[in-house]
Amino acid sequence: MPPHRLNRRSLVEKSLKGAAALPFWGLGNRLCATDGVTDSEFILGVSAAFRGPSRSLGIELYRGSQAYFRHVNQSGGINGRTVRLQCYDDGYQPVPSVLNTLKLIAEDDVFALFGYVGTPTVTRVLPLLKKFQDRNAYIFFPFTGAQPQRQPPYGDFAFNLRASYAQETAGLVHNFVRVGRSRVAVFYQADAYGRSGWAGVRDALAEHDKTIVGEATYKRGTRFTDSMRRQVEILKETNPDSVICTGSYAACAAFIRDSIDFGLEVPIANLSFVGSENLLKLLVDSTDNPERYTRLLVNSQVVPSYEDLSIPVIPEYRSRMTTVNTDLPSDLLDEPYTPLLYSFVSLEGYLNAKLMTEILTRMGDQPARERLEGAVFSVKDFDLGINELVSFSPRRRQGLQRIYYTMVDDRKFVTLRDWSERFAK
Amino acid sequence: MKIQRINRGTLFGIFALFLVMSLSTSALCIYTVDTHLSNEYRTNSGGIAKTIADASVDILLNRDLSTLQSFIDQFIDIQGVSYIYITDEHGGFVAHTFVPGIPPEIIKGARPDNASLDRNIAGMGDFFEVSRPILAGLAGSVHVGMDTGLIALKIQQAVGQQVYLISCIFLAGVVLATWLMYRSGRHLDSLLSYAQSLAMSTAMEPKVKLVADRNDEYGTLAHLFDYFSSKQEGALQEQEEPGADAHS
Repeated sequence: MPPHRLNRRSLVEKSLKGAAALPFWGLGNRLCATDGVTDSEFILGVSAAFRGPSRSLGIELYRGSQAYFRHVNQSGGINGRTVRLQCYDDGYQPVPSVLNTLKLIAEDDVFALFGYVGTPTVTRVLPLLKKFQDRNAYIFFPFTGAQPQRQPPYGDFAFNLRASYAQETAGLVHNFVRVGRSRVAVFYQADAYGRSGWAGVRDALAEHDKTIVGEATYKRGTRFTDSMRRQVEILKETNPDSVICTGSYAACAAFIRDSIDFGLEVPIANLSFVGSENLLKLLVDSTDNPERYTRLLVNSQVVPSYEDLSIPVIPEYRSRMTTVNTDLPSDLLDEPYTPLLYSFVSLEGYLNAKLMTEILTRMGDQPARERLEGAVFSVKDFDLGINELVSFSPRRRQGLQRIYYTMVDDRKFVTLRDWSERFAK
Repeated sequence: MKIQRINRGTLFGIFALFLVMSLSTSALCIYTVDTHLSNEYRTNSGGIAKTIADASVDILLNRDLSTLQSFIDQFIDIQGVSYIYITDEHGGFVAHTFVPGIPPEIIKGARPDNASLDRNIAGMGDFFEVSRPILAGLAGSVHVGMDTGLIALKIQQAVGQQVYLISCIFLAGVVLATWLMYRSGRHLDSLLSYAQSLAMSTAMEPKVKLVADRNDEYGTLAHLFDYFSSKQEGALQEQEEPGADAHS
């Protein structure tokens, strides 16, 4: 736990804030805001991709969160306080993400950071949290499974809900090896996210005394219209019997398209971050025979399928996604966006918001940032409604551990139950 | 504008001089820029490699590879840095910046821990690669590739700028020299006309007469022509006068 130090600077800042607020006491709760919380609202800071090739991830995560937060707000809020998301676009780029975070912490004085998207962005933001540890700056439930926010020296400043990429890649590798596919190649984004997936595959293969047979990379920001032929050729030369992708939907869809077109017809797996629905939409919309491109697709997920209505939270999520206004502030969009009705990403956002609400509720009537960590650690065996209980402690800063595998059936991602039947060599 | 034949040699001399100047200064420029930039590149790439190597110890021993990748990605924005890769103690690649993949030349190439080498990578160009060991090589090594094509581009730019400047000076010099030659040629023409008029005892144009009023060599020559002409006339008269005396 980072020590809460009321140093001279923060003491002066708090005194000045208090002095400035005194003349306006009672004029409006917003004027009395300290530490990102007022008598009427919690302010959570978001920096995510709302523009650019990966914008669907940021938008859908936001929509899922808002589906729950707005429902809470409409029901009277958390101990009388509503939740407001202060959002900035970073385009899935590290430098804007750092600048946005600086603004959220130093200027907007948000209660906590919430719902960030991406490894290259979050990885660069983490040192800022250490810098602002005297303000108890924490990041909650970033949409990344990378290790830096799960281990020292920055692990103490982050709380994760989703399982890690290491767990996802390990699951994919073990299943591929189990069905006789141990010549695994890797296609990945040339940055921290891609490296995280690459390392996960390498470590998992090492458990089977195997190594990665081939690797190819692409630049972050690659679009579906870009060619991946060269990457396919590089991997084809190594004769893999399966490929694990660590990328975003546009680039991975382009890779899958070119793999099939240029004769690399092996199972291709994607991690949860890919944005499964957008990947599928690109493949389906670009061809008359989408089954040809999707029959060997397998995506790992960190939340269950939103098609499985037997899971308690799914009907609730589906209902709120259709009844609650989840529109993004128009100033964050640079071009029109057609939202997805349901998606794995928005479901994750929904679960993030549900757990955040529970944590804020546990802070009672006098919420303060210095008691935030304690409130998180008080969560024990909490039921989010996905048949997996969530617990936190100083040594357990990741809520969920389970990985789900999905395949495409009838142009939808459905739960993969039998690897042998689908992917046996 | 007519240039006298005696001045054409001078003009050719100016051309030749400028040509020698252009060639010699360009060669000097190429040598200087190439030497300085190459040295700077070698120093910088060595510095970058050492920085990464020093910082990578902690990351490799205590952190994960995504942190290492994030760390080296920040260096790739530096001008001239084309690629960075980090190998473990067994020579396996643990982080790199290559897209769409690690070139075969890099995979096959020898990678000494603390060395520099020039590389040509098919489809990418020529590079100067510096390597530095991590934890004395026990944890691997860092390799930084600098684009030598950028040095060639800088040389081209520097030489281009220099040639442009010399060309401007050369053109201005030619215009000035031509004008000066034309000016001095005009006086020579007047002096020539002056001399011809004296020789043929024809009437002189007023502007031709002006050459005798000059205080320079042209004026002096005009006076000398006058002097010789009057002496010639005097001698002719003396030759004619003895005959006249005989008749009288």
